[in-house]
Amino acid sequence: MRLAFVLSEIGSGLRRNLSMVISVILVTFVSLTFVGAAGMLQLQINQMKGYWYDKVQVAIFLCSDGSTAPGCATGPATREQEDNLRKLLQSPAVAQYVNDFQYESKTDAYKHFKEQFANSPIVDSVTPDQLPASFRINMKDPEKYEIISETFSSQAGVETVIDQRQLLERLFSAMNAASLVAVSIAGVMIICAILLIATTIRLSAFSRRRETGIMRLVGASKMVIQLPFILEGVIAAVIGAALASGTLWAVAHFFLGGVMSKQYPDTAFISPGQTLMLAPALIGLGVVLAGVSSLLTLRRYLRV
Amino acid sequence: MIRFENVTKVYDQKARPALDSINLEIDRGEFAFLVGASGSGKSTFLRLVLKEDRASSGAVYVAGQNVANISSWRVPRLRRGIGVVFQDFRLLPQKSVFANVAFAMQVIGKSRSVIRDTVPEVLKTVGLEGKENRLPHELSGGEQQRVAIARAVVNRPGILLADEPTGNLDPTTSMGIMGVLDKINQNGTTVVMATHDDDIVNEMRKRVVELKNGVIIRDEARALYTSMIPVVGQSRRLRDASGRTEQPAASSRAEARADAPAELRTAGEGQA
Repeated sequence: MRLAFVLSEIGSGLRRNLSMVISVILVTFVSLTFVGAAGMLQLQINQMKGYWYDKVQVAIFLCSDGSTAPGCATGPATREQEDNLRKLLQSPAVAQYVNDFQYESKTDAYKHFKEQFANSPIVDSVTPDQLPASFRINMKDPEKYEIISETFSSQAGVETVIDQRQLLERLFSAMNAASLVAVSIAGVMIICAILLIATTIRLSAFSRRRETGIMRLVGASKMVIQLPFILEGVIAAVIGAALASGTLWAVAHFFLGGVMSKQYPDTAFISPGQTLMLAPALIGLGVVLAGVSSLLTLRRYLRV
Repeated sequence: MIRFENVTKVYDQKARPALDSINLEIDRGEFAFLVGASGSGKSTFLRLVLKEDRASSGAVYVAGQNVANISSWRVPRLRRGIGVVFQDFRLLPQKSVFANVAFAMQVIGKSRSVIRDTVPEVLKTVGLEGKENRLPHELSGGEQQRVAIARAVVNRPGILLADEPTGNLDPTTSMGIMGVLDKINQNGTTVVMATHDDDIVNEMRKRVVELKNGVIIRDEARALYTSMIPVVGQSRRLRDASGRTEQPAASSRAEARADAPAELRTAGEGQA
């Protein structure tokens, strides 16, 4: 099989069928953009969960410089206060509700903060001193948050006790719903894309039936006859997938990076680089979509 | 080269078979005409040789191989050994003469240098020197058919099937085409030509196999389009054949004539 020959066949097929090829590109572009949007929302949720979200439920923030809470009258939490809190957490009264707890020092907090806000300009203006140390508690029963809150809020050296889940859960459920919507739209669009690819390949096979008839007669192999058609669909789908990846990158770069991160500096957004990690998946999906649907169409409409 | 053993082809269960227990052998290097009215089974015969269709019963051997035993992915190899020419030429209108012939080599993966060497040679054989760069619509019908023949034989097949190749051409041009086919036959290619053209058959004096309603009613060497041998009782045998009351006689026993000695080749000879 001559590569140059197959390539010229593909070229002539794409030229002859230009309007259909463009519509395939656009439909795969739109459908894969929706798939990618769902993927981006999930990435964004992960980003916002940060280091602790999946590990603990309750955070006890200790006093730091500039804390104004009543328990912080004596200034930043001292070593002694920390040890007291640790003892209290280990005491039977509290320990029965606690699975596990970890201490996050100011340096640890800074490290995790840098990871989470890597894409945000805020990261440069924060120093370890500004971040509070904290105890991160994994609850046996997350519903018992109130007990921890009551016990620790009034302790010396404690700035605040926060149930992180409650804070973020509503936002995440909204984002999950949005990605579900995106996935359903993508599903419908993918069906459109499959049907359109099938129709395009059918038209292409019809407009080249003279050539394929002669190829059959002179004994061209099934591969040589079918490959140009399949590659035609695959190339169109890959272009569509590349456009979709480009769009997602642009959204991350210009919208999230340019607009949103300035309006909500305390929220961690995903970087454009992270959205590009979706690109191989989108292109792969496009190739599989086009390859399978054109193969099935050819089996019906192209005798070899 | 081509052997049909008791081959029957039924397209529609209710209608009569397109081919009915055909026994026929065409040897390597032979030139045979397939004649008969439309619907007599000529095209079905050619389709079975190409494995475009499958015989309902019986066996078709091409180059010693039973085509029923050729798996679908090896069918292309079978077809590379068979060239085909049609009444309607079937050239690619946007490709030049050279490109049309080269196409048959490109699609089976021949290298560019082989194509460059072979195509002009074949075009010379069919008498189209100097017309390499013409487009099909710039050629006469006879020239177009020569391009089609060049394409059919460029890969040096052992068999050339021609389905009414002169059907669209005037008598003089047709004779030119026959000259080309004869030349190809002289070079060792087996040629089977289905035709209605009595002038050509009479002129060529080659083997003639006549089909009627899917049955071979005549098989003569160096014969004419219509049999010159009055066959006694032919109408009764035909009636039997179409009524399928008995194994139809696959051959007509022709009395040897002094001027045209008949060479009977059909396998059904013994039963007749």
